Amino acid sequence: MSDYLVKGRVEARLISEKIEEAGRLTNCGGHDIFLGQVRDDMVEGRKVTAIEYSAYEPMVTKEADRIRGTIQAEFPGVGSVIIVHSEGVVRAGEISLFVMISAGHRVQAIEACRKTVELIKEGLPVWKKEIFSDSSHRWTANGASDKLLP
Amino acid sequence: MTITVLFFGALSEVAGTGTKFYNDVGSLDELSLRIADDYPLMVHYSYRISVNNEITGENAVLKDGDEVAFLPPFAGG
Repeated sequence: MSDYLVKGRVEARLISEKIEEAGRLTNCGGHDIFLGQVRDDMVEGRKVTAIEYSAYEPMVTKEADRIRGTIQAEFPGVGSVIIVHSEGVVRAGEISLFVMISAGHRVQAIEACRKTVELIKEGLPVWKKEIFSDSSHRWTANGASDKLLP
Repeated sequence: MTITVLFFGALSEVAGTGTKFYNDVGSLDELSLRIADDYPLMVHYSYRISVNNEITGENAVLKDGDEVAFLPPFAGG
């Protein structure tokens, strides 16, 4: 499995471990964190109870490496870019994406974090299937929804 | 020669599988014809194609052991 993927939800324990480890970056003055959570959307009268994520693992590694390189080139004050995305089933209310940027100063940390999340949404080869309370499902895409034809 | 074809997202349901092997396919154009024959419903979906983890828009020559993936629009994050 890619180093950027975890099976199921991102656990709070992992996030707090990474925050502790970031303390070693003593030249950094700020960390910005984004946590993506599965939302219990209502779609045509059905509630989302979970999302099942699937990923093209070797391409996730390649693309996440590329995103980190892009961010560090664009924001030279950034000392660390952490990306962790879920694979498999994540229930509503659970975390499916963890991004943490450590930088010398807060402005770069905040801007780099926002840009990292945008690049992940554009380029990470991950797919999601919304699972509803009646056990039906629907594939979704960022910015659009794909319905499976009958 | 044998290549591995991977179907992701909704395409894995259209194909009924995430992985299929094809023999004696020399190019992406040729593969596309074989896929259209095997899975006519795929024409209703938009996707990109990668060869060995590189997304390509051109007809590529395929060789033994290549991995071709059919990638619907991404939905990460």
